[in-house]
Amino acid sequence: MGKTFNPKITAFLCKWCSYTGADLAGTSRLQYPTAIIPIKVMCSSRVDPVFLIRAFLKGADGVLIGGCHPGDCHYESGNYHTRRRFAILQSIFDSLNLEKDRLRLSWISASEGPKFARVCNEFTDKIQKMGPNPTRKNMFI
Amino acid sequence: MKKKVGIYICQCGPNIADNVDIDKIIESVSAFNDADDLEIVAKPYGLLCSGEGKDYLKQEIEENGLTHLVIGACSPRDHNNTFIGVCKETSLNPYLYKLINIREHCAWIIHDKDKATEKAIQYIRGGLRRVLYQSELFENKLDTNPDVLVIGGGIAGIEAALSLADADRQVFLIEKTDRLGGKAATFKTVLPKQQDAVEAIQLKIQTVQDHPHIQVMLNTRLDRIIGFLGNFEAEVRSIDDAEKMTELKIGAMVVASGFSLYDASTHPDFIFSGDDEVYTALQIEQMIAEKNQVTTRSGKAPKSVAMIHCVGREEVGYCSQICCNAMIKLAARFKTQSPDTTVKVFFRDLCLPHQDDQAFYNEIKAQGVEFVRVNRIATEGSQIKFTTMDENEGSELFDMVVLAPAMIPADGTPDLATKLGISLHETGFFQEAHQAINPVATATDGIFIVGTAHGPRGIQATLLQAQAAASKIRVQLIPGEQIVPEVRVSETLEAFCMGCKTCLEVCHYGAIVFDEDKGISVVKEAVCRGCGNCVGSCPSGAIQLKHFTNPQLYQEMIEAVQ
Repeated sequence: MGKTFNPKITAFLCKWCSYTGADLAGTSRLQYPTAIIPIKVMCSSRVDPVFLIRAFLKGADGVLIGGCHPGDCHYESGNYHTRRRFAILQSIFDSLNLEKDRLRLSWISASEGPKFARVCNEFTDKIQKMGPNPTRKNMFI
Repeated sequence: MKKKVGIYICQCGPNIADNVDIDKIIESVSAFNDADDLEIVAKPYGLLCSGEGKDYLKQEIEENGLTHLVIGACSPRDHNNTFIGVCKETSLNPYLYKLINIREHCAWIIHDKDKATEKAIQYIRGGLRRVLYQSELFENKLDTNPDVLVIGGGIAGIEAALSLADADRQVFLIEKTDRLGGKAATFKTVLPKQQDAVEAIQLKIQTVQDHPHIQVMLNTRLDRIIGFLGNFEAEVRSIDDAEKMTELKIGAMVVASGFSLYDASTHPDFIFSGDDEVYTALQIEQMIAEKNQVTTRSGKAPKSVAMIHCVGREEVGYCSQICCNAMIKLAARFKTQSPDTTVKVFFRDLCLPHQDDQAFYNEIKAQGVEFVRVNRIATEGSQIKFTTMDENEGSELFDMVVLAPAMIPADGTPDLATKLGISLHETGFFQEAHQAINPVATATDGIFIVGTAHGPRGIQATLLQAQAAASKIRVQLIPGEQIVPEVRVSETLEAFCMGCKTCLEVCHYGAIVFDEDKGISVVKEAVCRGCGNCVGSCPSGAIQLKHFTNPQLYQEMIEAVQ
């Protein structure tokens, strides 16, 4: 691990709430680290768990999923499915001895620019402390 | 085939130019060589969303013969449609373009210009990788049918039918009984207060019957429905004559199937038979409408009346909202019929939501109607036993007992929901698309719910909903205009599908059906909303969401983690 560890974090953001919240963080000129690269999806439920595992195997230091608050999903129930899949994925991380703290699911509404910035700051900070993702080195599939 | 990708970075005035080093971005993305047969044209521009900017883009696309386009600019919420419009005026398919938001996500979130530039480069390279994996998609225009089927000939259905027919839409109004008007037509007066609405309601019924654009079908029920917004086919059948089936082609539907009442005789605290002087508020309304007076079964005017609110509220688990006012209205009616009638109202909580309600309640109280707040109440015939809030017990015999049972979903609601493929709320009423922001639509495009089919409410709120649904339909289905269904929808890859039906379970819109012959799931494209939940659920990777496929997202992701 070098002196300057710049974490690489991928954020899957749903178009309707979290991506819009991220936009608002920008228009409000809220400051947060550049480690987070957003990927827009229509609904957080589009993100399948296998894809997230691939992100880790490819070297992501952290993955953030942003969806609408429970009850606010643009597609009615998508975020509930996301929540279930996320819980299962976390338990799989445990059993594979992966660090489940590198995964984060946050509900960020379109009006929660400050929350988006706060989540990015907290999560980047946490990943910074955890250091680089060891999975890429250790796992061969 | 050689690919030629145009990458254009918008300065957005000083917004982007001041905070990221655009020259450095151009230099970096020009050097991208991670794909074969690729040529990159990368240029900065002042303001791409301006008239000149759009013309410039069109010219660049055509002159350079671009096969793909990446724009580094503002939020897609601002100008994605602008640039899609630009593509549509050129030979470039708009689904071979990608907008990368380097303003909100790079320029505006950090003061450190080097870091902002670094992120912008990475972000645009992700977009570049992605766009190379995007495919052309073609929007399909579909003819639509602007005609509407209204299910239920009560006041809700009548109002919806009139609001549509007056705008020259052909309306088919089906009603399971032999008359129009539903329960509202049996009321002598309506809330708020005691407004006389008989004539107004009769006039509406008459207008429906005479309307050149409304075809009324009495004693008729819905049998089957297939299709989607703009193109539904319904089969309706006569209840008297099962052989008589009519096929209707319509573009949208309004469900106005009304409500029923909780059966108080099933409640252990209310013991009565058909011979007892125990009536529901609705029966009293009908008695007033029929003979303009309220009498006991022996034909005498009651000298004492007990009115019991909230019958079954605990059991159904919700407040029916209108019964308090309906009961106060009837209490007033007893006093008008004979001022020395003893009228006692037994209530647990009073619900007086309209701005006139409180004044009306005060007025009725001043006329001598007694309001008794009770903790518990039970009847045996017209003998009433109660416990007040301060634990005093009482027992009284009345000439007449009037109950206000809870409003419950109409008989046949679950069956109708299955036929329509729409959901029910946990209370059994029809479920709206979104309680707060889309209250008359359902999860299925083109099917609307109005009135008490949607939950307890009064006539005023019912009419508002009916008018709202009618105007939504008038906006969504314009005669002669085609609709463009979403093209970024899911599709199943036949070879990979193992027929587990998981996707059928998760789809909120019923957009996936099972092909029994092939043993695979099939997406009904016109119904699919493109959320991708099925993709996330598929254990065998057999579903992909067009424009958000795994390879496309993988390319974005791979750049982000490098």
